[in-house]
Parts: sequence; structure tokens; C-alpha cells
Amino acid sequence: MADHVLLEMRQIEIAFPGVKALNKVDFTLHAGEIHSLLGENGAGKSTLIKCLTGVNKKDGGTITLEGKEIQPQSPQHAIELGISTVYQEVNLCPNLTVAENIFVGRQPMKHGQIDWKTINRRAVELMSRFHLNIDVTRPLSYYSTAIQQMVSIARAVDIQAKILILDEPTSSLDDHEVQLLFDVMNELKKEGMGIIFITHFLDQVFAVSDRLTILRNGQLVGTYKIEDITKVQLVTEMIGKDIDTIFSLKRAEVAENEKDMLTADHIGAPEKLDDISLCVKKGELVGFAGLLGSGRTETAEMLFGASKITKGEMTVDGKKAEIKKPYDALIAGMAFCPEDRKRDGIIGDLSIRENIALAVQARKGFMHPLSTKEQNELADKYIKALGIATPNAEKKIGELSGGNQQKVILARWMATNPKVLILDEPTRGIDVGAKAEIQRLMLEMCGEGVSVIFISSELDEIIRCSNRVIIMRDREKVAEVDGATCTQEQILAIIAEGSTAARGEAS
Amino acid sequence: MKKRFDLAAITKSKLTWAVVAEVLILLVCLIVRPDFFKISYQESTGMLYGSLIDIVNRSSEITIIAMGMTLVIALGGTDLSVGALVAVSGAIALKFLRWDVLEYTTPGDYTVCSYALVLIVPLAVCLLMGLFNGLLIAKGNMQPIIATLILMVCGRGIAQILTNGKQFTTGYSPFRVIGQGSFLYLPMPIWITAVVVAVVALFVRKTAFGTFVESVGINRSASRLSGINAQLIIFIVFALTGFLSGISGLIYSSRIMSNDSNNAGLNYEMDAILAVVIGGTSMTGGKFSLAGTVLGSIIIRTIVTLVYYFGIASEATMAFKAMIIAVVIVLQSEPVRNYFSKRTKKRAYAVKGGIIE
Repeated sequence: MADHVLLEMRQIEIAFPGVKALNKVDFTLHAGEIHSLLGENGAGKSTLIKCLTGVNKKDGGTITLEGKEIQPQSPQHAIELGISTVYQEVNLCPNLTVAENIFVGRQPMKHGQIDWKTINRRAVELMSRFHLNIDVTRPLSYYSTAIQQMVSIARAVDIQAKILILDEPTSSLDDHEVQLLFDVMNELKKEGMGIIFITHFLDQVFAVSDRLTILRNGQLVGTYKIEDITKVQLVTEMIGKDIDTIFSLKRAEVAENEKDMLTADHIGAPEKLDDISLCVKKGELVGFAGLLGSGRTETAEMLFGASKITKGEMTVDGKKAEIKKPYDALIAGMAFCPEDRKRDGIIGDLSIRENIALAVQARKGFMHPLSTKEQNELADKYIKALGIATPNAEKKIGELSGGNQQKVILARWMATNPKVLILDEPTRGIDVGAKAEIQRLMLEMCGEGVSVIFISSELDEIIRCSNRVIIMRDREKVAEVDGATCTQEQILAIIAEGSTAARGEAS
Repeated sequence: MKKRFDLAAITKSKLTWAVVAEVLILLVCLIVRPDFFKISYQESTGMLYGSLIDIVNRSSEITIIAMGMTLVIALGGTDLSVGALVAVSGAIALKFLRWDVLEYTTPGDYTVCSYALVLIVPLAVCLLMGLFNGLLIAKGNMQPIIATLILMVCGRGIAQILTNGKQFTTGYSPFRVIGQGSFLYLPMPIWITAVVVAVVALFVRKTAFGTFVESVGINRSASRLSGINAQLIIFIVFALTGFLSGISGLIYSSRIMSNDSNNAGLNYEMDAILAVVIGGTSMTGGKFSLAGTVLGSIIIRTIVTLVYYFGIASEATMAFKAMIIAVVIVLQSEPVRNYFSKRTKKRAYAVKGGIIE
């Protein structure tokens, strides 16, 4: 089974004006294998996938599916050919029910009417294959992102796909949910489906894939069997640089008697978080660890005024701060990179220049505009300092890769010279190289006296960067440990304590 | 090399196709009426006359409102109340021109209160009504289309109540100047429109207001988290649109020297939205073009003129107008623009020997 070639892409070439996005790339997928596609942002992974799903037209090369040459014209056409894709962002309608989402556009009919019974029954069957016992007649928005992700996979699987493409499916899932997804992937694999798996989590690549293909700068680096390559080799191949040079990060140094930059005294907001107190010293980096939904994001939102606090007090730089809305936080010298970059961060249709200048401009008010010259200076300065990969500052931010978008958002806040910087999952969904760069920038800012609050689901990066780690569980701060001495196991143990009960409730 | 004439980008721009549409319509006009472009000078009024001037003159009401509507649409909303506000503005102006002197039966060249009040009160009321729209939308989080529906429906009622359901007429000559006077050879509404367009454009583009409007229109949540006071922006835009409707109402009622609560500003909301859309601003919000809107408004008026020149029966006017607008909008649609853009792009590459560097 495993030797049966399902898909063969040969000498694929795609050129965009000014760049060669893919240069003679070969890619083969066998039936019944999980094949990881790896590379930094901009390496050409998405372009290759888009070529396969008919979004981008290729300029050269051939695609053969089960021996027949195909020319996917549109995503719809690709689906008809048997190529299904599940994207990082859930592409479903939150206001429809789970069952409706699975069958929308191809509802089974009976006597000229939609056969709701069959729809709901088959939806339940499908979801039980994923070991999910959920009420399929509830609206999708009722469920967590993880379950929504499962629903979109269920939809993709149910339309008789031969090839399933999973584009960063795990970036918003916790460990338990990731395992669930892997089980499903393995089951589908046994049924002979070819799965293309794109992720930035290298552990997951090793946990689940049979083979992997690495791209760099639009070129094929190579295809390897999973047992033939080590993690270090893999990273080195991906970035084309030695791994040690990018991972030499130094924790910020904070004097014992350094002054408090941000304090929160028993703050809380209804339906968000009842009560939390914390303090961050000048130039200190405080990490927030905890599961998704443990209250990390809620805390960040309260600190920045994105959700209004109804109790407690805050001080910034020794002064009492009344923060009712993000503008107040901005004036107080705070900055916030939100978790959902697409929804809350980027202004997609505006240029990089406008996006970078936005917060500075918001602080000045619209009656005191920055001149085009000042905006250009800001943009050029940060494009250079942060290594944002773009031909010029006038490119729309929406057209950049995830890592570069994140850097632009970071630039937006760095330009305001903040005293406190709150970063919610700044490294999610971006590649190893960009990840290391963002960590380096974070620590550099600490060195310049900026206090940083760093929220991440990846414990190793929290431990690598933080001076102190605050651990959240069930919307409460449960512990605070020293970043230099704590271990991953220690933190996990604290998170796990009593959280099994909570998980049963959530699922 | 840097500032190369980029044909592909030009064919992709909606504005280009608006210009093409306008030129085509004008050409048809020219065929139907060979003297269409003729402009003559009449010494008695000191004004230039001609179809082209008439088109620009008559598009004034819509152009002025559409300036505000452009910003409303850039925010991702619509304002349906503008037509009703035109009626309110006219009703108040005429009420002040008459001011409780209902016994006067013949309209004459007089006013019974300060002329300043005649102008200021209607504008102030329209501004307040715009603020009311803004309040519902920004603070009440209502959808703009629903919130403005309220004043669309009850605005004309308010106008009726203000004038006791009567239609007043006046002969006060300073008021006549607004809609029928002239200045430097051109009709006054053209000058008023020019000033409005210039002031709005300067306000929007010389401050950061335009960027903030686009930003809120594209992503309100991200704008708010970047420290932009989205509510304030929404407030200002709707208040401005109300105020501009007031100006438009004064021009309208000055043209007829009367108030007409039923017909003043009728369907103006639709024409204004259309002008904005033809001008290349997307109904989904975001990037907007004020110049495009001015052109859109002129296109709509040109179509109406064309309909008159064809001598089409008045029952069929609307249908004919709709047909031409449909053609214009199809010309601007994405597939058509992409088709032409791709063709020109291919040609450009062919010239360069097919090399994409």
C-alpha cells in the first residue's frame, strides 16, 4: 500500500511578479502516508499547496493524480478531484449547526426537501469517528476552536477525499486535542488516504509523519524518511544556517531592587477573571504558562483595557492608571500584541507603513497627523531593524507571511516606545527562524528597560526567556516560579494538578 | 524604471473603468445631440450655459451627500436617512422664511427672521440627527442600515409636522442665490459643492482621519486594540453625513424656492450609495476614493441627462437608468477588470521577451 504513488508533482514552477515562488520543485505523496511539508515562512509551502488546490496557477511542471495528469482550476475543482484542504483558520460558518456545516452545499435530499434526519445522523456518526460525542444540532460557535477544527476535518474527510491537506491544524489545539487529531490522521492513513501535514511544531512532525519534504526559498531541499533525519539536521536544513547561532539567547538581567513597572492589585472583570494580582519589574520578562482558556489571554486583555475591569487597581511606572479602554493603556505606556493576529492585529488592506504608524498616530490623535516622511522613516527603521521581508513599505500587510505580519505588529508597538509590552502568543504559527528572532527582539527590549509579559503555549520558549513564570489554571493564578531554575516538568505538574476534573467538564 | 507607466495596474483600477463609462455615455450623448458639448455665455445672468455645466450643477446635491456616504461606506456601513434629512432641512428653512406668518399668502422677497437662522438651524438640526445616527451605531452597537432606517422613515414625518403638512413657497432673493445664483460664470451649487469636496478631502487626507476611517472599516477590533477611538470616528462620520445632507437640502429647496416633504431628497440615499460604489469604494468597507465618488455622482447625472435626450417616456426612465448603471457596474466588476488586466499584463511580458524577473 505504502509504495502506491498517489500524487506526483514534478518540476513545479510558479513566478509572481518580482519573485520566483517555486523553482522546479518535485513532490510525491504515497497512498496511506502522512507526509510533512516543512520550511520557513515564505519558503514556498503555501504556494505549493495553493498550486495543488487550484488557487495559484503553475507556470511550469506537471501534476499527476493516480497516473492521470490534472490541472486544478479552483478550490472547488480540486475538491472534485479528491483534494481536500483544512486551513489553519477555521473556514466554516459559526452560526450554522455542526451538522449543517458538514453538509452545507451537498445536503442529502428526500422528496425534494432537505433530509435533516440523515444529515444529523450522519453527522453524529462522523463525529464519533473522531471520538467526539457532541450535539451536532448546536451552532458551531458554541464549541471550542479545537472542535471546530475537527468539524472542518470531518467535512473534508466526508467528501471522499483521496488527499487531505492539513495546513497548520494544530496551532490552536492543546496537547490532548492534538493527540486526538493524530489518532484520526492515523486512522485515515490506514484507509489509504494521503495526508499532507504542514506545521511549525517539529515534535509533531516526528510524532506523526512517515516522510517529510523540506523547502527553502522556493527550492526543494530534499525528501527524507522520518527515521533518516534528526531534529537538529531538520532545522539546519530548513533555515540553511547553523542552529546554535540563532538559539543563543540570554535571559534579561533584573536587579533585585529594580522598581515595579506594572502592578495589578486584585483586578477582575465579570465573566472573564475574578481576581488576579501581579507585578512586573522594569526590564523584567514575565512568562504566562497554562492551558488554553486558563485565563492567560483574559488577564492580558484586562491589563490592556480590551475588556474593562470592574474591580482592583493598576499602576504603571509608579502612577495609578485608570484603564478603561485600549487608548488609556496606550497613553499609560503599554502595548499589546493580541493572540489572534488576523482578527485583532493586522489591518489587512492597509500598507505596512500605515500599520506600523497606527498606534503612534492613535496616541497623537488624528488631528496631529504624522507626515508621510515621518511615517516612511518609522516604517523603514523597523523594516530594517526587525528584518521584515518585503520589497517596500507600501505592500499590504495582508499579503505578508504570518511571521512578517507579526513583526509588523511588533513594530507598531515598538514605535510607541512602550514601558510595558504584552505579547499574547507572538510566536504561534510562525517558523523556527522568525520565532527565534521574535524571542531575541523581546529580550533586547527587556535590556532597554521595557517590561515584557509573554504568553505562550510552548513551555520551552517560556522557560528559555522568562525571569519569572506565572502559572494559570481555571482562570486563576495558581503559582509563580523562578524562570531560571524551573523545569518544564515542574510547570506541567502544577498545571496538571486538579485540571483533569476541569478537562472532563470542558469536553 | 521606478515610475513606469503601469498599464496592468491602470486596467485593474475601478476608477479607470468609471472614467471609461463616463466617456462612453458622453459620446452617446454627443451622437444623439451633436451640440451636446456646446457652452454659451449669457450676458444677462453672467452665467455659462450648456449641458455639461448643467450635469455638474444638477449633480451637486448627490455629490455633497456622497462625500459623507463615502466615509460611511468606508466604515462598512450605509446611511439610509440622508434623503429624509434633505426634506427636514428644506422644511425647517422654509418654516423660518415664513416664521408664523401664515397669513401671508403671496410669496415675496422678504424674510421674517434673521437670514442666518434660516441657514444655521436646518444645518444644526441635520447635524444633530446625524449625531443621533452615530449614537445608535457607535454606542448602541446597532447595524448602520437599521439605525439609519429609523430616521429614514420618521424624518419625512418630522418634516411634515414642522410645516403642518403644508408646502410653503418663498421669494426671498438671498435664499434663491444658493440654488439658482451664480458666481464667476458658474452656478452657485457648483461652487458650494467644490468647497464641500475640498474641505472634506482636506480634512480626511491631510489629517489622519481618513486612515483611521479605513482602519476601523477594515478591522474594527484591531483598530480599537491599536488605541484608535473607533466610536469617536463613527460619531464624526455620521454627524458629518447628516450635516452634508442639510447643505444638500438647502440647495434643493432653494432651487424650487419651496419645501416638499414628500419628494425632496427622494431616493437620494440610493443615488449617493451608487455614486460611492461606481467611484470604486467597496461596500465591504476599507479603502475609499473621494475623487471616484465625485465622478460616480456625475456619471449618475449624465445618465439621467441621456435619458432625457433620448426622449424616453417618463414611465420608462427609471428602468433605462437602471440598465445603464448595470452596464457600468459590470464593467467595473472584478472578473472583467481581471480579464483586461491579465491581457495587458501578458502583452507587457511579451514585449519584455516573456521574462519575469
